Amino acid sequence: MSVTPKSREEILTYLRNVLVELFELKPEQIVPEANLYTDLDIDSIDAVDLILKLKDLTGRKIQPQTFKHVRTVGDVVDAIEALMANPAA
Amino acid sequence: MSRSVSGKSGKLNHAWRIFATGFVFVLFGLGALFISLTMFPLLRLSTWNTAVARRRIQRGMQGTFRLYMEIMRVLGILTYTVEGGERLREPGRLVVANHPTLIDVVLLVSLMPSVDCIVKRGLWRNPFLRWPVSWAGYIPNSDGEELIEGCAATLRRGHSLLVFPEGTRTVPGRPLRMQRGAAHIALAAEVEILPVTITCDPPTLFKGNPWYRVPARRFHMHVVVGAPVASRNFRHGDEPPARSARRLTQWLLAYYGAAPEDEGRAEDAQRSAQAWLAAPAHRRAG
Repeated sequence: MSVTPKSREEILTYLRNVLVELFELKPEQIVPEANLYTDLDIDSIDAVDLILKLKDLTGRKIQPQTFKHVRTVGDVVDAIEALMANPAA
Repeated sequence: MSRSVSGKSGKLNHAWRIFATGFVFVLFGLGALFISLTMFPLLRLSTWNTAVARRRIQRGMQGTFRLYMEIMRVLGILTYTVEGGERLREPGRLVVANHPTLIDVVLLVSLMPSVDCIVKRGLWRNPFLRWPVSWAGYIPNSDGEELIEGCAATLRRGHSLLVFPEGTRTVPGRPLRMQRGAAHIALAAEVEILPVTITCDPPTLFKGNPWYRVPARRFHMHVVVGAPVASRNFRHGDEPPARSARRLTQWLLAYYGAAPEDEGRAEDAQRSAQAWLAAPAHRRAG
């Protein structure tokens, strides 16, 4: 299955929808500099749900360590972008 | 003046309570070691059946903690009263409590003939305590999903489980914070939540307060066991569990915000909790 690379803007929009749907956040809270843990109150259990959901976008399994250094919404976008640009990694 | 503890007898009483508190700490430590080497192995060996042994050991735990409470009471360190204590003896519920003091677990377990607890996983590496905690069926505090599944599993088997949603003792003066693990457990197991409110007056043994800084007078602990609440009330349709867990945790925060000793918390939340509760019928017991 081939994955169409998406722009950062599209990834952010997708992520915004996912976060609003899963955690009842407000769309305007989902900005690149928002910290997942302190600003958006996402805990380790939520992170597992989020990673599962992001699998739908990237179309393949995401290793938890990919998200080990993720702190902000922008970091998530970076991680997804890297994953999609580099399908073999 | 209401300072009843001035003068010579007050000072003597204060010194006595420092001594007695230190003594009790040593006694608890040595007692834990002693019963881990005597009572618990004997109870474990009293039957082949691990489930029966587990029940007897939890009963032994209750008896021990009851004795600890009585020792502290007789030594003049504290007094305590309980409202609705009979609810703590009914099985199969997630018992949640606020966590003002170091001895909340001792007090609550002393009131519960059978309850599972979450304990530090480091204890499983302690040569003395690892066996009692596993025989008692206690749950190690592993991470996230694994811990929640372990807790939900024991509730589904009809056991009760005691959890402090704050995760650690309350820091006085700071806003009340809760992790959402307790909510996830209750939702996953689809059990009732039994909210317990502990108050300690004057405050002592709270987080950051060393044991030897004893309060101006003998302290009083009061336990109020609220009405059970079904966790399914917090699940709306097919929504993601994270949403239900947030709703349930908000409710818990409001419930404890509405507790008498906490002023200055979000009033909206208090009102919503009060409306929800519609005056829980606490019965006096002892």
